[in-house]
Formats: sequence, C-alpha cells, structure tokens
Amino acid sequence: MIEGVWLWITLALIGSTTILTRGSFIIPGERAKLPPVAQRVLRYAPAAALAALVAPDILLDAGHFDPFNTKMAAALAVIAATAYWRNPWLPFFIGMGVLLVLRKGLGW
Amino acid sequence: MNDSFRRGAKEGFGALFPLSLGLIPWAMVTGVAMRSTGLSVVESMGMNLLVFAGTAQLGTLPLIGSGAPLWLIVLTALVLNLRFVIFSAALAPAFVGQPLRRRLLTGYLLVDGVFAVLSERLLKATDPHWRWGCFIAPAAWCWVLWQVFAFVGVIGAGALPSDWSLEFMATIALLVMLVPMAASRPMLVAALVGGIATVMLRGMPLKLGLVAGIALGIAAGFVAERWQDDRRRA
Repeated sequence: MIEGVWLWITLALIGSTTILTRGSFIIPGERAKLPPVAQRVLRYAPAAALAALVAPDILLDAGHFDPFNTKMAAALAVIAATAYWRNPWLPFFIGMGVLLVLRKGLGW
Repeated sequence: MNDSFRRGAKEGFGALFPLSLGLIPWAMVTGVAMRSTGLSVVESMGMNLLVFAGTAQLGTLPLIGSGAPLWLIVLTALVLNLRFVIFSAALAPAFVGQPLRRRLLTGYLLVDGVFAVLSERLLKATDPHWRWGCFIAPAAWCWVLWQVFAFVGVIGAGALPSDWSLEFMATIALLVMLVPMAASRPMLVAALVGGIATVMLRGMPLKLGLVAGIALGIAAGFVAERWQDDRRRA
C-alpha cells in the first residue's frame, strides 16, 4: 500500500490524467482534429485496459494460474447479471453473494 | 445568468437526469473500494475530488494497494482515461470562444454520461449561452451526485465487516463496465487478448506485463476490426 505524501502525489498524478485527457482538445480552444486512425485505435484502450486489470484477479490464485476459483465463479455470475438485467445494483449483490456463499458457507 | 443560459441548463439537466441516477451505485461502490484498499476517509475523498473518474479510480486502487511503481499507476490511469481524448476532440468545437476558466472546468467535468447524452445537442446549438447552460448544469449535477454518494460509501464502508473481501467490489465494477463494451466482436477480441496476455506476461519485470498486455489487446482489437471490414467488403 502506498502511503503518506507519496499517496497524495500518486493521487494528484492520477487526477492530472483526467484533466489531460478530458481537456486535451477542449482546453486549447482551437479547432484541431484527431486523425481517424488514432480515433479507431483509442476506442480499444478502455476495453483492453479493463480486461487487463480484471483478468489477473479472477484467473490467478496466489500468483498461480487457476481458473477454477471462487472469484471466477463470482465473475461469471456478474457477467450473466450484467448481460441479462439492467438493474445497476444487481451485479454487486450477485457477485458479492456468490463469493461470500462459496467462501463462508461452503468454506472454499 | 441570462435567459438562454437558463433554457440550456433546463434542457441539459432534463436530458441527463434519469441516466445520472445510475451513478449512485458506482459512486457508493467506489467509496467502499477506496476504504477497503486502505485509504483513510480524507485520502478517499481527496482521490474522489482530484481524480473524479470512476474507471481510473477503481482501476488504480489494486495497484495502489499492492504498492506498484508510480509510473505504472499513472500510465494505467492514462490508458483508462484515453477514451476522453476522443470525447474532447469531438466536443471541442462547442467550446471554442469560451473563456479559459470555463474550458478548464470542462476538462475536469466531462464524464462519459454527459458526452453520450449531450454531445449532439451541444454541437448543434449556435447560442454560446444556451450551450454553456446545457453543459454546465448537468455536468455539475453529476459531480455533486458522485461526491455525495462516494462519501456515503466511504463512511458506510466502516460499518461493513472487514473479512468480506469487499475489495472485490472494484473488480465487479470493472466487469460491469466491460460487459456492454465487449458487445462488438473486435472489442471482445481486444478484451480477451488484453486480459489473457496480461496474465501470461505477469512474470515480466517492473510489472511491464500489464502495459504489454494492454498494448497487445488494443492491437488485437484494431486488427480484428480491419479483418472484419475486409470480410464485409469481400
């Protein structure tokens, strides 16, 4: 865990990426355009990054590849809940529910 | 505060209000996730004010928690925020001629929902007062909702049991954002390659596996899109 002054520096730098990206074309105030190729490539950045952040948490167990774990089961339930229902709270209840039942109830 | 500003504000607020309520669970989950990563109440709200971007907050929390190198955390936040460059470029014509402080404020407040719902209205409008009202009223409302309900989560997290693996809420939130994105084939390819490559490259030094995995995912999505286009044309 990053702490103290370094945490605040980290948070400020993360925050600067918010302004840099959201303001990239608006703050200069000119009629600049983004090349079409750059637009197409940038579209894939969030999906690739989100998956890259999620995958190690659900595919690894204590650093070893093991797709059959409680987090994977919970993640599949979350994907199903998101794909079939529109309720924004449901994935959180179902995901945490599956994880806690498997871990606490069944002792996995 | 002239009349056309007020009419623009009313129009923008009315259009975004129903969708904005969807921010409430996000904000609360983000609040809980910040606390269960180990941030204090003040640090959590500091992050919420400084960053004001749910995906970047949720995505960097595991890295902050595991003490990842600073550059990796900032680079990850940047990648998660890259979509805003597209939004910013698309909306820029609507803000040409506005004073710098308004453009700076826009650079802070331009969240996904505001762009998705209002960009067409903002670009079509010709009256700068109407336009500013139509942007700033709903954008400020989203900011208030986000801060208030993140605070509810930050405070509420203390009342929840500590052995419930609540940090998993961040992973759930990232998945919930990912699922609708992966509806198109190339986007699904980008996600699958990005995720699997990151896991396979986890042995790389300096946690470079995450950066390499994301880069491979983006490249795979782009290639899949080209391939899909070629097949359609053939």
